[in-house]
Amino acid sequence: MRSTSWRSVAAVAAAASLLLLPASIGYADESPSPALISAEPTAFTVGITDDVDSLNPFTGIVSTAYEMYQLMYPSLTSPSAEDFSPVPDLAESWEESDDQSTWTYKIREGLKWSDGEPLTAKDAAYSFNRVINGNYEQTNYGGYVANVTKAEAPDDTTLVLTVKEPTPLMENLAVYILPEHIWKDIDGKAVRSYENEPTPGNPIVGAGPFVLTERQKGQFIRFEANPNYYKGKPSIDELTFRVYKNADAVAQALRKGEVDFADEMQANVFDAIQGEEGITTVNAEYYGFNEIGMNYGAALADGTPIGDGNPALEDVRVRQAINHAIDRQTLVDKVAKYGTPGSTIIPPIYSTLHLEPANPFTYDPAKAGALLDEAGYTLNSDGKRVGPDGEPLTLRLLGRQESQTSQQTVQFVAGWLEEIGITIDTKIVSEDTLIELNGEGRFDLFEWGWVVEPDPDYQLSTFTCAQRSSEEDGTIYAGLSDSHFCNEEYDALYAQQAVETDAAKRADIVKQMQQIVYDEAPYAVTFYYDLLQAYRSDRFANFVQQPTDRGPALFQFGTWSYESITPASAEDGDSTTASGSESGSDSGLNPALVAGLAAVAVALVAGVVLVTRRRASDEDTE
Amino acid sequence: MDQPVSTSAAPVQDGAADGAGQSSGMSPGTRYAARSIGSGVATLFFVVVFNFFLFRMLPGDPIGLYTRGRNVPPEQIAKLRAELDKPILEQFLTYVANPFSSTINSARFNRPVWELIFERVGATLLLVGTAILIASIVGTLIGIRAAWKRGETFDSVSSAVTLTLYAMPEFWLGMILLIMFGVGTAITPGVFPIGGIISPGVDPRSLEGILNVAWHMVLPVTTLAAVYVAEYALVMRASLIDEMGQDYLTVARAKGLKDKVVRRRHAVPNAILPTVTLIFMNLGFVISGAITIETVFSWPGLGLLTYDALRGPDIALLQATFLLFSIGVIVANIIADLLYAVLDPRVRV
Amino acid sequence: MTMTRPGMDPVRTPTAKQVTRARRRASRSRSWRSFRSNRSGMVGLVVLLAFVVVAILAPVLFPPSTISVTQATGEPMSPPTAGFPLGTDESGRSILALIVWGARISLVVGLAATVMSMLIGTVMGIMSGYFGGGLGLVLNRFTDWFLVIPFLPLAIVLATVLGASLINIIVVIGITSWPGTARLVRSQTLSIGGRPYLERARALGAGNIHLMRRHILPNVMPLVLANTTLMVALAILSETTLSFLGLGDPLSPSWGSILDGAFTSGAMTVGAWWYVLPPGLCVVAVVLAFTLIGRALEDIADPRRQGA
Repeated sequence: MRSTSWRSVAAVAAAASLLLLPASIGYADESPSPALISAEPTAFTVGITDDVDSLNPFTGIVSTAYEMYQLMYPSLTSPSAEDFSPVPDLAESWEESDDQSTWTYKIREGLKWSDGEPLTAKDAAYSFNRVINGNYEQTNYGGYVANVTKAEAPDDTTLVLTVKEPTPLMENLAVYILPEHIWKDIDGKAVRSYENEPTPGNPIVGAGPFVLTERQKGQFIRFEANPNYYKGKPSIDELTFRVYKNADAVAQALRKGEVDFADEMQANVFDAIQGEEGITTVNAEYYGFNEIGMNYGAALADGTPIGDGNPALEDVRVRQAINHAIDRQTLVDKVAKYGTPGSTIIPPIYSTLHLEPANPFTYDPAKAGALLDEAGYTLNSDGKRVGPDGEPLTLRLLGRQESQTSQQTVQFVAGWLEEIGITIDTKIVSEDTLIELNGEGRFDLFEWGWVVEPDPDYQLSTFTCAQRSSEEDGTIYAGLSDSHFCNEEYDALYAQQAVETDAAKRADIVKQMQQIVYDEAPYAVTFYYDLLQAYRSDRFANFVQQPTDRGPALFQFGTWSYESITPASAEDGDSTTASGSESGSDSGLNPALVAGLAAVAVALVAGVVLVTRRRASDEDTE
Repeated sequence: MDQPVSTSAAPVQDGAADGAGQSSGMSPGTRYAARSIGSGVATLFFVVVFNFFLFRMLPGDPIGLYTRGRNVPPEQIAKLRAELDKPILEQFLTYVANPFSSTINSARFNRPVWELIFERVGATLLLVGTAILIASIVGTLIGIRAAWKRGETFDSVSSAVTLTLYAMPEFWLGMILLIMFGVGTAITPGVFPIGGIISPGVDPRSLEGILNVAWHMVLPVTTLAAVYVAEYALVMRASLIDEMGQDYLTVARAKGLKDKVVRRRHAVPNAILPTVTLIFMNLGFVISGAITIETVFSWPGLGLLTYDALRGPDIALLQATFLLFSIGVIVANIIADLLYAVLDPRVRV
Repeated sequence: MTMTRPGMDPVRTPTAKQVTRARRRASRSRSWRSFRSNRSGMVGLVVLLAFVVVAILAPVLFPPSTISVTQATGEPMSPPTAGFPLGTDESGRSILALIVWGARISLVVGLAATVMSMLIGTVMGIMSGYFGGGLGLVLNRFTDWFLVIPFLPLAIVLATVLGASLINIIVVIGITSWPGTARLVRSQTLSIGGRPYLERARALGAGNIHLMRRHILPNVMPLVLANTTLMVALAILSETTLSFLGLGDPLSPSWGSILDGAFTSGAMTVGAWWYVLPPGLCVVAVVLAFTLIGRALEDIADPRRQGA
């Protein structure tokens, strides 16, 4: 009996180690294979945490999806890499008619889609009409063509868009031009569920710098350089976006060489990576801001008051006092970690439009106190502000469950406001709930943020009277205005900038509008947070930041970096291997540990056998 | 985590006690099975209804959130809202008619919920299945040994270890193991991957891919198995001890049968019964482990999906995962009931 | 009534109440003695008391400013030093301070949730065990139905609906864990219900409520108490898990939310073991303590399993 069991142990152990052996021997590097004598395709890999929800440009919501769309499809113009001003893309030039009722775009000649079909103005007209006349198609692009009544292509290189009124947005239409010969087969109903996914041998037809060839949901999205791209074939042959579960995993992958670019890094991980050899970090200014929003006087768009906001906030002095009570630099240092103190609602990255106020809200608790005194809220013996009615001034402050910076910010703000005597009731709610509370006016203060596009129209509209809540069948729905700000002068200026096609004049109006919002203070803009990125500079060079030297190196408005990135070293492919091997053991299998695992397996098996052996001997005496 | 694992382990099988008198032509076994399935279906119906109404109570404006920050024309927003706001009875009937409909979209992922779930089920089954398999074998063996050698070193040591493991939050154990063996510390090598199911670029169908997945499984499965082992060992030990106190065993020993025979032929098989059924009944415990462990190790299964759904929150997705988990537990309970009926003749009478 | 005999002091015959009280006192001291002899139970008790004392003394040991994000003085995410014995979190707060304050929340939530669960469970259990026929069956079915629903998904769903706050977590855990107690109480009630003296009491005219309160409840209580201690252990584990998932009150540091903080701020990637190890060890210690006490109480309450 005993000899049999030992023999079987040996057999099992041998089998176990044999099983593990092929892995250590046949294990292949999962980064690009080592360079041979011939030129090796250059592969650039980006690590992302948010998988694309849909490759169908009409359906996608997440920002990574839009990165894919701009790689696949052209638009008429692009925001420049220097300062977001519109530069030619598909349209070589464009012109507004004298009566300002039409815009004529000259489309480049001789362009082809990636399947060889000609790319003409007819495709452009088709794409625009699809959105203008569409139903579901309106969701993602309707805002851009709100004023466009029709699109026509009198010949292959001319596109004419007719507008209801002068529209500056016409220079910045972020509508993707789709191949008519493909999309005409997908009607208005089918477009909702159409996935636009490539199949082996059938890449998605597009005309951007890259062609979408392969996708595995939740894993990766792969592109190949488009040889027909009108600006010339990019230096990168293969572009892959790999999906990771969180920012940490991406950082690890960057270190190990699995990816060449990491986007949206967390501050502490970013710090840990600084100064590592072969990696360059990018501390990019970003298009977003965070704010403490206040209940200006919640009402429906027609002016009917709603909700239960504290009337104290309707006094501009109280709102300005709150602005003075917030120490923005501390928020930048401790919460945002990387960023700049906030001022107006158009972030400084848009240098032509941003207004740097001449009368900034400095951190000045004394001034805040004085303003509150003026407004009639004086300190009582307990150090609390009481209003004319004798009641202590109490404000509810709502933070967002989904965001840790939000929760930290409200804790700081609550502390500072308590210091000047305002009693704060802090609550953390889900974003879903916050929208509803905003809409119904049942709040006092809240924390949120916005991301601003190059064209300021959308962001400015969030402060118009018309964007306050609406009511239907007894239910109140939120508009875009979460503070319920309403100012006649502002609305008039908004209407003006909406039809001003001269860029300089429009910038002027936008700055005036920012000043009004700043002075009236329905928001206390806390900070402009930075976007933290990093890439392997030992492998790739010539990234283009937008704006130059300030903004993000990828995930921009436009495909600038993708078109200009080149391998870092002169020899093709060598640089990839060099760092690939020096990054050492990847997260795959390591031969040394395979041996260790085999040893453990043997020990386990032996252990089990030992235990069962005793029991067997027990049974033997039966 | 629904019942405290005290030293009293055997579930109170009072379900069998009532209503077992009148014969109606069906064999008792079939009747029992039918009743079990019937009550399972009834419970399931309750769950579906409960699910529906619970989420209606959720505050929030999902369309508002969906369109915030995006340049969506106001008419379009109104249209999207109108689609969502049908009368509650109509919504209820639509939902109950087909809770698995593919038109239910996840707000966060912008894709049909059941498609998302279908993609992830495999990963969870792989993780949880392996862990349960390992844990039930190891745990049962430990429990048997500990009970039989009650009071000796093995018993005290294993009881201490299992009690401690049981007292640990499983995700904490996972985080510790991840730091020790995934990231690495000064004293332990960081050799395991820190997350995910497979290295990017590896074909999951190749041999290399299978081994790669197995390598990724080591830490999460170890964590889950450790916690389950504790539960199963404690239960097995307690039920065997209970069983060993039974009269018929004393009689058997008095008759001259050897200890080991008594143990192997009578005590253990009878004690395994409540353990096995308890393993099935405590599937809820297993599920909660899956949710937290998948989160810690970024394992792309249903648990991580549930965790992601908490952002927002993504109501449709939470509803669907809750329904799925409930179905799983109900089915497991039915299996447990049926197993009990098959293995324990006392129940069928 | 006095009875005298020649040569003796007057002796008073004890009243029924005095007899009862004396018997109860004797039984309590017997229980205490047998508990004391249970070594693991005593260890558990000592550990638990230590945590309770620390929790009560929290504001004395660490003033509230030490756990405020806004007044944090330490370097973010740094390992243990003299000034910060357990290192700091991502906002620069002392982990030791967080843990000490966390003890309060974890203990309070665990106890409160268990009290709620025990109340519901005992009432439901006694009623479903005592009332036979339709009502009992319905109650039993209801308990079974609740038991079948998996705990964590139900808790997640309830917490999402109710919102993230401490009270809601207590309610959620209370609502989801009463069936365990109910089941146990029901089986005890069923076994007691058959005893002859209840028949006699009923014959003497005792009503249902009286019977349940005066006869069944006291007999059920010892086991319920033991069960309760174990339930606190589970409640603390549940609260830790729910807080880790982000469903607890984000503004108060329970041990689970400290671990959530560690997880979301990438403590694992940078190897900040000081952020991860201590809170978990505390949970293990307290849960073990309650478990050991509970098992000791069970041994006392159920003589059938002495020495199990």
